Amino acid sequence: MDPLEGMDDSSTDDDNTSQTTEDDPQVPDHSAQAPPAPAPQPSTSTTSSTTSTIPARERPQYQLKHVISGHTMSISAVKFSPDGTLLASCGAENIVKIWNPFTGELIRNLSGHTAGLSDISWSNDSVYLASASDDTTVRIWEVDTGVCHKLLRGHTKWVFCLNYNSTATLLVSGACDGDVKIWDTKRGKCLKTLHAHLDYVTAVHFNRDSSLIVSCALDGLIRIWNTTNGQCLKTLAEGHDAICQQVQFSPNSKYILSTAHDSAIRLWDYQTTRCLKTYTGHVNAKYCISACFSVTGGKWIVAGSEDHKTYIWDLQTREVVQVLEGHQDVVVAVATHPARNMIATGSIDSDLTIRIWEDQRN
Amino acid sequence: MNEALISPFIINHPTAVQTSLYSYRAQLSRFDPSGRFVGVGTFDGTAYIYDMDTKAAVRTLDGHVKNITSLDWSRHSRYVLTSSKDWNVIVWDLSLTCDPPQRFATIRLDAPVSSASFHPRNSQIVLALTSTGEVYLQDLRPSYRERFELCEPQEEGEDEEHSRRAAMTVARFDPSGKHIFIGTSSGHILVFNTRTRVMVGRHKVSGAGGMKGFEFAKSGRRLLTNSSDRTLRQFNLPTYPRPGEGILETELEPTHRFNDPITKTAWNAMSYSPDGEWLAGGSADPASHKIYIWDISNDGQFTTALDGGRDSLLHLHWHPSKSSIVSTALHGNIFIWHSPNPERWGAFAGGFEEVDENVEYEEKEDEFDVEDEEEILKRKMKAEEEDVDVDSLEDDAHQNVQLISQNDEDDHWADQEPDEDATSWKMKIVIMEGGDTLP
Repeated sequence: MDPLEGMDDSSTDDDNTSQTTEDDPQVPDHSAQAPPAPAPQPSTSTTSSTTSTIPARERPQYQLKHVISGHTMSISAVKFSPDGTLLASCGAENIVKIWNPFTGELIRNLSGHTAGLSDISWSNDSVYLASASDDTTVRIWEVDTGVCHKLLRGHTKWVFCLNYNSTATLLVSGACDGDVKIWDTKRGKCLKTLHAHLDYVTAVHFNRDSSLIVSCALDGLIRIWNTTNGQCLKTLAEGHDAICQQVQFSPNSKYILSTAHDSAIRLWDYQTTRCLKTYTGHVNAKYCISACFSVTGGKWIVAGSEDHKTYIWDLQTREVVQVLEGHQDVVVAVATHPARNMIATGSIDSDLTIRIWEDQRN
Repeated sequence: MNEALISPFIINHPTAVQTSLYSYRAQLSRFDPSGRFVGVGTFDGTAYIYDMDTKAAVRTLDGHVKNITSLDWSRHSRYVLTSSKDWNVIVWDLSLTCDPPQRFATIRLDAPVSSASFHPRNSQIVLALTSTGEVYLQDLRPSYRERFELCEPQEEGEDEEHSRRAAMTVARFDPSGKHIFIGTSSGHILVFNTRTRVMVGRHKVSGAGGMKGFEFAKSGRRLLTNSSDRTLRQFNLPTYPRPGEGILETELEPTHRFNDPITKTAWNAMSYSPDGEWLAGGSADPASHKIYIWDISNDGQFTTALDGGRDSLLHLHWHPSKSSIVSTALHGNIFIWHSPNPERWGAFAGGFEEVDENVEYEEKEDEFDVEDEEEILKRKMKAEEEDVDVDSLEDDAHQNVQLISQNDEDDHWADQEPDEDATSWKMKIVIMEGGDTLP
């Protein structure tokens, strides 16, 4: 991907590649990059050729700040707290870890789950953190004290994904039996169960005013639900090879972003069911890889990839504007800082590190 | 925000009870300007804040010792005002983390308070009406700090009438906060300029009797009055002269009159829908819970009466943006009315559209043409060039609390020393202990 872009668009790209390699001791020179780059796909080559005539847009210059190690098993999620002061991560070893994203220090372990964790979510005030576990429960932690305040029981299978709503009054979780549950966080009670899908629910997300929930599952469907009455409002189906595994509303809740197993990330207008943008270039055919919006500086889409890299696309042009290299294994977890131009990435099996990247133009 | 997806039609009136909340001895309940909360005042003097996401009480406001007569929200819902027969008006700050919440300010008057409200632009300006028929404008801003009694100016030679000045029975800010509307027991509407406290208008409503309640459509151009003749009257408001340029004295002729010609019921409360197209009136019938709905856009025609059982209706309020009404019944039930949509099973299938009746399908000319894949791809790429906006918030939720701003000296006056009511405040979640808590 990257060398190809470098040829198209001279100076800026060269700067980029040199920077990504500089901050990464494991990949010392340019030549090492060329072989692992995937064969350029026709779609992206047309993109770059059309956009090369457009004056070069500003590009991010993310550099590695910290390599945080501490996890002993595959990392499944990393999340910045909404106030930006903390970073939480979880993985297969039953523990949520809270880090200082600026120094990389471990602040606290939240332990209590009896099986691996798949997802975490912060409450809007950064006080509480909810975690979804394979022990079929969801726990709500007070992060400052490390106390588990609520144990939400009700799912019958591994809980795979969860999210708070914007006011932290509700929590939505999805499990491997296809059920989605809506919880009252104050009382710790299940308010509603939606028999949403026929397969692993891999992502659930509230829109800004909590009136809608979007869910997606390995049955390949993205569904939108009315939070108040639990009615299904819409189903978006992708192609047969495009099993969607992560979905979320855009920050203004006008669109949804989905990642699929045909190595494509799509931005949808869910009102009209139209795909507005497709982001390609990374590799994603097997793992549940997360993508996210970056809106603090330039407008980017950030996602992990199975070629051990993290890709950053320009939201509008769909060009890959930077590739972050360094992880030794598949990058499944990414998160963007709520206020600064900072990215956290997490990787699995043979790597087990969290890397913090920061834009040099800050 | 997603009204279009949830219900593709324009705002309809609610038709059925969605949820009923039980609050012991509830007397009135009002949505906040975002529609996230409902504030409930009780006969005991306690107020409760209900969260509409979870339909559960999230705050208990304990401060009054007699029944609560009115409740008002600041424009971004951070402050709540309660007035009570115990002569006090209390302002609560919901952003404080302590539970039970502490009072933010207390205003003590010289008589039982029958209603109080915030200035729409600044919650430090409070309008209060006492049961003795006096209206006070209390300014809590440090450099303005004062209490002013609003009086109808007496013309010379009217001294003997002075002693029989009609008591004030209603006092409300208009939606812009520029004017204060006061209703009197003699059926007059007095209009004061808020900044200068000068009377700028006086209207006689003939045949109405004493004024019991005012309600404004969101635009502020329409006023609805409830009076002792058991009729609701809608008026189009004139433009008032600027302070010092005289007093507009006219008799207002209602554009519509709403009443029940058969039972001749009195009205306890009324509320416009957010778009002003519908009007809901809560009947004071002691043996039933009836909400009358009129279609304003259709010349004020009576549409339906919603029946909520046998507990009489005390108060009702329309949701600030949705087709939803909260109504309070005697004995403590609070009903949340909504307009249910039938479940569309077609929503479960991707790319599937339901039609009401069978349609003879006509194949389009090029429907099954085999197109060059590259062409399709190129066209798709072209379509994807279009810019998208993923993070700016020209949000409907904020439009709900948006104020009619004329950007004149009245607004500047009210905006000085603004309160700390910003959109970014957060209601802290207080996790209830008990239940499934493990170490």
